[in-house]
Amino acid sequence: MTDPSEALASAKATADRLVKAKRFNACLTPVRELRKALVTQAQAAHPSGVLYGMPVAVKDNICTLEFTTTCGSKILEGYRSPYEATAVAKLKAAGALMAGKTNCDEFAMGSSTEHSAYGRVLHPFDKTRVPGGSSGGSAALVAAGAVPAALGSETGGSVRQPASLCGVVGIKPTYGRVSRWGLVAFGSSLDQIGVLGRSVHDAARVLSVISGRDPKDSTCEERDPLRLPNVPESLQGFVIGIPKEYFPADLDPAVRRACDRAVRLLKELGAAVREVALPHTAYAVPTYYILAPAEASSNLARYDGARYGPRFDGSADVRALYRTTRGEGFGPEVRRRILLGTYVLSSGYYDAYYRKAQQMRALIAQDFRNAFDRGVDLLFTPTTPSPAFKAGEKVNDPVAMYLSDIFTVTANLAGVPAISIPIGRIKGLPLGGQFIGQAFLEDEMLEAAYALERVVPATEEA
Amino acid sequence: MSVTHDEVLKIARLAELDVSEDALPLLAEQMSRILDYVAQINAVPASEGVKPFVPGPDALRFRVDEVKPIPLAFGPETLAPAFKDGFFLVPKLGAFEGADS
Amino acid sequence: MAGTATPEWETVIGLETHVQLRTVSKMFCGCSTAFGAPPNTNVCPVCLGLPGALPMANGLALQLAVRAALALGCTVHPRSVFARKNYFYPDLPKGYQISQFEQPLSTDGSLSYLSPDRGIATATIQRLHVEEDAGKSLHDRFPKQTAIDLNRCGVPLIEIVTGPDFRSPHEARAYLLTLKQVLEYAGVSDCDMEKGSLRVDANVSVRRVGEAVLGTKTEVKNINSFAYVEKALTVERDRQIAVLDAGGKVEQQTLLYDAKTNAVRPQRAKEESHDYRYFPDPDLPPLVLREEFIAEQQALLPELPAKKRERFVEKYALSVTDAAVLTADRAVADYYEAVVHAGSGADAKVAANWVMTEVLADAKDHGDGLRVQPGALANLIGLVRGSTLSHQAAKRVFSEVAEHGGEPRNVAEALGLIQVADTGVVARWVSEVLGAHPAEVERYHKGETKLLQFFVGQVMKVSRGKADPKLAQRVLEEKLVA
Repeated sequence: MTDPSEALASAKATADRLVKAKRFNACLTPVRELRKALVTQAQAAHPSGVLYGMPVAVKDNICTLEFTTTCGSKILEGYRSPYEATAVAKLKAAGALMAGKTNCDEFAMGSSTEHSAYGRVLHPFDKTRVPGGSSGGSAALVAAGAVPAALGSETGGSVRQPASLCGVVGIKPTYGRVSRWGLVAFGSSLDQIGVLGRSVHDAARVLSVISGRDPKDSTCEERDPLRLPNVPESLQGFVIGIPKEYFPADLDPAVRRACDRAVRLLKELGAAVREVALPHTAYAVPTYYILAPAEASSNLARYDGARYGPRFDGSADVRALYRTTRGEGFGPEVRRRILLGTYVLSSGYYDAYYRKAQQMRALIAQDFRNAFDRGVDLLFTPTTPSPAFKAGEKVNDPVAMYLSDIFTVTANLAGVPAISIPIGRIKGLPLGGQFIGQAFLEDEMLEAAYALERVVPATEEA
Repeated sequence: MSVTHDEVLKIARLAELDVSEDALPLLAEQMSRILDYVAQINAVPASEGVKPFVPGPDALRFRVDEVKPIPLAFGPETLAPAFKDGFFLVPKLGAFEGADS
Repeated sequence: MAGTATPEWETVIGLETHVQLRTVSKMFCGCSTAFGAPPNTNVCPVCLGLPGALPMANGLALQLAVRAALALGCTVHPRSVFARKNYFYPDLPKGYQISQFEQPLSTDGSLSYLSPDRGIATATIQRLHVEEDAGKSLHDRFPKQTAIDLNRCGVPLIEIVTGPDFRSPHEARAYLLTLKQVLEYAGVSDCDMEKGSLRVDANVSVRRVGEAVLGTKTEVKNINSFAYVEKALTVERDRQIAVLDAGGKVEQQTLLYDAKTNAVRPQRAKEESHDYRYFPDPDLPPLVLREEFIAEQQALLPELPAKKRERFVEKYALSVTDAAVLTADRAVADYYEAVVHAGSGADAKVAANWVMTEVLADAKDHGDGLRVQPGALANLIGLVRGSTLSHQAAKRVFSEVAEHGGEPRNVAEALGLIQVADTGVVARWVSEVLGAHPAEVERYHKGETKLLQFFVGQVMKVSRGKADPKLAQRVLEEKLVA
């Protein structure tokens, strides 16, 4: 796209599509505001930008100057950020159009987008099911064809898991690849902005633009933006590891079939495939559910009704203000995680929980390093243990919900990149398979993803 | 392990979160279950010689000391739920007296 | 003051000092640290604690912190970690303060100071670490509400913690004044308690003399000047002794000092124990300091007060007291040496007297400015030494030069103060004086030799200060003999 009239047409068409997608409750921005913002942006955008005219929806835990930033929570209802995230600024500088804010689990805590204060997001293929979470809104909009790409965020798999359930591509970059400036923090040592897209190419293009150095984020590495590889002819020379811990005996047979099919295709593409072991995998979810809530309990301490956001009480005293605002402004999942996080950091429990979890994290990261050091370039695994589950099925059972992250949290703990692409259908519902790559070697991971995407029958039953 | 109601209330106080009486039993039960679940990491013996893992850069980068504030599209007065004469306002500390700090 | 410490009670005091570092921008963002700005104008997403904001470390602050640590003889650790100290308070926007906990910047230093009770004493510096300041809460500005100003939020601080080393409130104060001096010398802070760039909290306990175990300690906060340090600690010590004497137990609590009533009161109506839940801040990679970095900071440290004092005593043959006065302020010490070494040089002792009297008095009245250039003062001293000016006249010239500038000799001439050393002229004045006071002359001859000074004074008067008093005295003596 190079012509302003094309950009304007894109803006209008996007607005129309987003209106049609309203029924999924994936977009939080009111239609009128959205339409106006899209047109204004189309008129202001630089025609020379590499994403000129491309509409990109933004998860509502990423700060934008256009639109409110609520993080799916009542405690930030109506909050307008006075600054924008670096990722958003980069997209705008590349000519992309911010296509509204997407619904998400509150403060990115959840795996189904049922924990949003603004209602759950419906799976575009089956409204009784969840799109996954926490970036469920972004995944649903891409799956519904409303936008070609959307920003999401990952802490324990919140881009890849909904990508898998919705049948779209989801990329989590290496920790430190994309600036977190403007990403509302949940688990700071795990968080990364990720991208959902209708194809590897769309998602990767967006990732490339938002990646790169940012002095405003001390955890962002000093690197140039990601350079995109070409689609390879074959995967000759690639060694792909299959970690046995991700194919337990009780894995859903349909999921196993889909993965087996994908692995066969990888071999046909010329890759060498071998089994590897990541022995501490079983401890990943418990480790994650100590570290992430711990960091969250601290990151969410700033929400107290004092300086921004709504106040929930006309209290006579400030402690009452805090307690009521937070008690009423946060939903049950967030409250649970804050309490959990506070508990594991508290005196008497810090060593047994937090410090121990840090040690476990090191062992999990070491597992990956060992596998990669032994000549494996990439790992291939299922993204989720099942396709989209029914709304209400797990929402009252926290531990059951946590287990949806079983294949995704490891990459966040180890800080390595990962990508989920659709690899098949199970009773009509999409399912994703993921590549996990080496730190800062997203290009190799993308090559494999491109290659597999071209040949895998993603819409066929496994 | 069992988290008692008292412990939940104590943690809630530390976290400045209101927990209603009727929410307490379920919350205590859920927290107990979650803590039991995560405590399985203790099955793994302490590991000697594994470097602690911190993702991201190995060393902190420094910024030059200069006055270069990050611009705000609008100021505190627009953000604040309560603002007067340039100050954020909150209800006074009740349970204890602070000195002007 | 009720109840001085009796010989049976020993006071044990430890001090935690927070010192603002002399940077222009904050510790984790580029907002200005300038004092006195209108409320909430030096703020940004970082120091406001807005959603999505992240800290960026100020390199100069870290340099100054290392310098301070080295000046206090601490071991600077090549690797340290920023940690979050989690608690809720209106002036703490993130709900946590970025500080250091398990792996601080430096530990194990010491500072020697002159204790009023025990001579030279040494305080142990357990740790010196870096952290960010909180904002300000004003509780009395609006009724029923607390006003919050976040300008100060994020200003770089070092926290300096001593062991329980002080045995009296005076000692605590003496240590603080020495600490202030060392940090000013090192150029890391202006250490102004009034402006809040130096703040102190104290831990106080008492025990019976000879008891090995420490008593229960309380924390005393809100001490806003060096003078109040002594008062607050005395008040708390006395309070604890009174409680124990009456058979009670000292309760561990935090107390606020109220300067108006000279009393302490509990900070919290009910004591809520703090659990800060420290953990390494995941937004900041470890602070790694190369050896060269630390060596650079060491090289940037000037000669510190104790060394300078010793050197002054030796090099300039000054008394310990005079050396202490001249080195109290680094700028004054540098000034003094400049005077001694300027041009043909001034006598070290004479220069010392001039600096300790005229220069410091002038500075005190004029915002601590050293208004007369060292070279000019050296010239002035030279003029007195060469009998061109009397000491009295020189003082006048000094004031004139301080106020209006100018070359001392020219100023002296303009003021008509150049001393007359012409024996003939002086002799005439002497004759005039002796002629005018025959009664005194007779008394002098009868043995009241003290009257010589009277005559000298009269000669000075009659000559309007222009006579060289030493010459006048000689001439008088000669004439009076006759």
